[in-house]
Amino acid sequence: MTAYRATPDDLAEDRNRRDTRATDWVHGPTDEQVPPELLITPGLPWSDRLAALRRRHRLRGERARAFYAASRTPERGLPVAGNAAAWAFVKRLLRTRKGSFALTVATNLAAAVAGLIVPRLLGNLVDEVTGGATGATQVDPIIGGVIVVVVVQAALVLAARRASAVLGYDLLAAAREEIVDTVLRLPLGEVESASSGDLLTRITSDVSKMSQSVRWAFPQLVMSSVLVVASLVALVLNSAFLALTMSGSLVVLWFATRNYLRHAGAGYITESGTYSQINSTTTETVEGARTVEALGLGERRIAIGDADVEVSSQAERYTMTLRNLFFIFLDISYQLPLVGVVLLGTWGYAEGWVTLGEITTAAIYVQGLVEPMDRLIQVFDTLQVGLAATTRLLGVAEVPEDRVAGDDRPRGTDVVGVDLRFAYRPGVDVLHGIDLDLRPGERLAIVGPSGSGKSTLGRLLAGINGPRTGEVDIGGVDVMTLPLDLLRTEVALVTQEHHVFVGSVRDNIVLARDRQLEGDAVDEAVRDALRAVDALDWVERLPQGLDTVLGHGRVHLTPAQAQQVALARLMVADPHTLVLDEATSLIDPRTARHLEGSMAALMEDRTVIAIAHRLHTAHDADRIAVVIDGRIAELGSHAELLALDGEYARLWRTWRS
Amino acid sequence: MHDFPPRVDAYTPAETSRPDTRSPARFLGWLLRVQWDVVALLGVTGLVWFLPGALSPLLLGKAIDSGVLHGDMWATLGWAGVLTLVIVVGAAAGIANHTFVVRGWLIALYGTQKLVTRKAVQLGHVLSRRLPTGEVLSISSSDSNTFGQTIEIVSRTIGAMSAFVLVCALMFTTSPPLGWVVVIAAPLLVGAASPVLRPLNHAQTAERTRTGELTSMATDIVSGLRILRGIGGERTFGNNYAALSQKVRRLGVATGTWQAVTETISVLLSGLLLVALVWLGSHEMLEGRLSVGQLISFVGYALFMVWPLQTFFEFAEKWVQGLVSARKAIALLAPELPFSEGAEPLSPRPRLVDAVSGVAVEPGRFLAVVSAVPEESAALADRLGRYLPTLQGAQENDDDDSELRGRRARLARESREARRAEVAERDRDLGGGEWGVSADGVDYSRLPLASLRRTVVVSDTASQLFAGTLQQAVDPWGTHTLEQAQEVLHAAAAEDVYAGLPGGWQGRVDELGRGLSGGQRQRVVLARALLLDPEVLVLVEPTSAVDAHTEARIAERVVEHRRGRTTVVMTASPLLLHHVDEVSLLVDGREVARGTHADLLADPRYRSIVGRGMEDDE
Repeated sequence: MTAYRATPDDLAEDRNRRDTRATDWVHGPTDEQVPPELLITPGLPWSDRLAALRRRHRLRGERARAFYAASRTPERGLPVAGNAAAWAFVKRLLRTRKGSFALTVATNLAAAVAGLIVPRLLGNLVDEVTGGATGATQVDPIIGGVIVVVVVQAALVLAARRASAVLGYDLLAAAREEIVDTVLRLPLGEVESASSGDLLTRITSDVSKMSQSVRWAFPQLVMSSVLVVASLVALVLNSAFLALTMSGSLVVLWFATRNYLRHAGAGYITESGTYSQINSTTTETVEGARTVEALGLGERRIAIGDADVEVSSQAERYTMTLRNLFFIFLDISYQLPLVGVVLLGTWGYAEGWVTLGEITTAAIYVQGLVEPMDRLIQVFDTLQVGLAATTRLLGVAEVPEDRVAGDDRPRGTDVVGVDLRFAYRPGVDVLHGIDLDLRPGERLAIVGPSGSGKSTLGRLLAGINGPRTGEVDIGGVDVMTLPLDLLRTEVALVTQEHHVFVGSVRDNIVLARDRQLEGDAVDEAVRDALRAVDALDWVERLPQGLDTVLGHGRVHLTPAQAQQVALARLMVADPHTLVLDEATSLIDPRTARHLEGSMAALMEDRTVIAIAHRLHTAHDADRIAVVIDGRIAELGSHAELLALDGEYARLWRTWRS
Repeated sequence: MHDFPPRVDAYTPAETSRPDTRSPARFLGWLLRVQWDVVALLGVTGLVWFLPGALSPLLLGKAIDSGVLHGDMWATLGWAGVLTLVIVVGAAAGIANHTFVVRGWLIALYGTQKLVTRKAVQLGHVLSRRLPTGEVLSISSSDSNTFGQTIEIVSRTIGAMSAFVLVCALMFTTSPPLGWVVVIAAPLLVGAASPVLRPLNHAQTAERTRTGELTSMATDIVSGLRILRGIGGERTFGNNYAALSQKVRRLGVATGTWQAVTETISVLLSGLLLVALVWLGSHEMLEGRLSVGQLISFVGYALFMVWPLQTFFEFAEKWVQGLVSARKAIALLAPELPFSEGAEPLSPRPRLVDAVSGVAVEPGRFLAVVSAVPEESAALADRLGRYLPTLQGAQENDDDDSELRGRRARLARESREARRAEVAERDRDLGGGEWGVSADGVDYSRLPLASLRRTVVVSDTASQLFAGTLQQAVDPWGTHTLEQAQEVLHAAAAEDVYAGLPGGWQGRVDELGRGLSGGQRQRVVLARALLLDPEVLVLVEPTSAVDAHTEARIAERVVEHRRGRTTVVMTASPLLLHHVDEVSLLVDGREVARGTHADLLADPRYRSIVGRGMEDDE
């Protein structure tokens, strides 16, 4: 066999790309700062202050809308769904819970009606006593009636609140389970390439914002709107004349609320965004406290933290002013109808249109409206924040599928790559037409400098990403057309990560076959795998054996044990081809030695493609591919490459010297 | 007057004041004291804001008695005018109050967040020895909000107290018997819910704990998503999540049910109070001791009184929450640096000698330290940099015992505090006495810590990248030029990071360098340390995640770049050792041999460490 070697010309064009003669370096401080127009200038005369406040408020509003717009169309990371998708999601969840929803509305309505009867009875009582009732005989039956209604109302409140809680928590559970399901269906290529930070934020902070919305705001929306509508109806039924007092308020409230809600959403979403920013900056400062100390970055970290706080202050000032402007109308339109009741009451009473009892009832109704209306506004605020979070969560589902499963099934276990090209960004190929023919059972080492594309090549061979041109075939079938469940039993990519999941030892190992195996077969397969990687002993010594719960905050495994668990997973998956991407480079040399036996057991009778940092891994392989700048520069056995006296030979000599 | 964001200088060199950390109550007192003017205005505006609520029953009653019943439009207009005035004044006060609430709340919240940052910077690597990261972060993200809440409830209570006294006075001047009924019944009414509060609290705690677990489970799924999608297991972990989610749902419904019970009790009791008042009132009326208007006023008072009383109960509850948060804040803010300092000057090119290992670091030389046990060379790096040794075993988190209550919770807290005190005690012993490393013969403990940190810089394997642009990752100080940055990027063989990042120098690097490969991250960290260009640079395993090709380049360039300065590298890689001036071999933490790489290769102990994979071939 002869070794292959690329010409130097092939490599030159790529080197030019690496030039760092940059025009994108920025001189001076590059932190984001609050524009100076937003800072308050002290000592202005009062007239100017108001104008300055108005100017700042407008500017803050623009910033909030810009932030909101940017959050809806992120430049990087996962997509964000539209509002319509979020509403459709809520509707779909509700449609499957019609009974529960109807019960919630009905009980809340009944409780509201019962609550509205009491003021009516009090009005009757007032009419009785002013209408010349002279003894307890006329008064006491009414009071008895009030007692009965209060007790009934209390019972209905219990039923209504419980129904709301059942509905709210049910919706929430369904929503979050669906989100996690979506995450678990993310296309393989996307999972491998995206940074997990974005997804992590979504699954923690966005789920919690959505929860708040679904669990609290949604039931409150039902309760409060039912109560407001019922109160308004009761007010009219009590006395249409006195109900007129609310009409002016309702008009004012309608416009004020509409105006407020139009701006509040962006305001609160910006505000909560600034707090996330403060939290991530603080997290970095705290987690990196040693780095900060070592590099003398203290002042910088404080300055960055203070700048975040300043930005957040501006967002808070915006919503504060929004609320203040709103409260002017709110406070007055809640309270002034009482004045209206007094004025209209005097007139109507004199004319004989209303009784004193009706005035009393109306006064109580008007006062009683304040609380549910107040709450409705809070509900709208929370719902907007929740809606934005939901669109981000649903965005995860909008990542396009990266493969369509076909019907062809592999015949044989040979892996062939033909004319493989790949680009992460359009126009910038990192692989330039690689051809590679693997023999079943052989061991191929891929070496090369960082950024040369060797990890990308590994991922194409493992069927994680599809190539831009060419294809990788297993047993004559394109890997990108294999269903994921099948692909995993053909070829597996093993990386430096050896994440131990929170879950039992069994759950941690059965992974690849959790759809195929049932009952005792699971335990048997898991035990076999553990035995093969030399780990059955310590697993059986664990307090609950295979049922022992592992992971963060539970039984803690040593790095070597964690690695064995990772290897056992692969034994269960049993693929005929393994792609090892620096799988052992991050392990302590001592544990690496300990794991050699486990590793050897796994690699036995399999085709192994090892992407290696360390030359001794390469040296043991059947063939070595030296990848430089997206091409295979040299290919052959250790001895052949030494004889070729190229890049590999040069390195080997340095290593050995 | 104070405004947000507050200026905070505690725990910095420019410190003029710092929080009172002697006890939780004193800490809360300090929080209120630093913005006393805002708190005072909050109390006053709060009272005025309550006036419409407190006075409108009176005015409504007066209007009915003198206006409506007598058909006297002028009297009605008079009372309606007063009512309007009260409402307008109340609304204005409400807006002022809201502004001050936001101000007071945010001064406390942002102030706490700034304190956390400053304290973290002050403590540096000692921070993680005092408190687990999660706890520090929860002080910044959640306890800071509790302090805002404390400010708000304290001032609201002042307002509510005044309103309470006012309404009591109004009631007693009208009808003492009815006044007594309200004064006695109203607290009972608010207090009647207290037997349910315990199970409610219990249910809420259980729900919160499980919700936390659910979140960690989702986080766990995302962290291991590559494995779940690559190898499989979606069904297992999807089902596990769904099972826990359903458990949390049931706990949530339990919480919701207890909340419903609480609300039911309040509906029932306030309804019954109303009945009692109306019954008594109408009988008083029938006997001519009370007018209709006054009866209506009383109904209004009874409905209003529930509110200040609820505020008092809320105060009790939130003050306790404030104390709990204050205790957590004190655990962070009270500890001091355990180092003793001196004023002896540190020479610009010191010769360092470590007594424990016997390693001497000669100025201007590139020294490599090789040890069979990587921890031993890492410990040497810590000593040279004056860092306390890494703690064995992870720090436990407070959340672990969140399900415990009462005495057991207290015991758990006490034993945790005792363990922490022990670590702090040990640190003071280590940092307070002779350090064991000397610079030009002077022990570190007699040198100023700040100048030592400037002169000797340790870049260890845990060195962290911060989120920002690539430019900020390489030059976080913002003080270097493009040429300098290009030079160190070249020296660390990290040009491919620049080339691969959309946006080049302004391309985004996520927190912890996520999105870069392990090798890229390591090289950016190296470039950053080189850019700082300290007199003595200590690098721990700087190329452990880098491939052999790149490592060979780095070795050559870094040695060249550091020429003339003092560099110590902890490594066992022959590619690096090949280029350094001198190698020190540690066995059991002591230097046993010293010489060039070529010299030491003759030593079998050395060969066995650096020649892994070398001897068994050919």
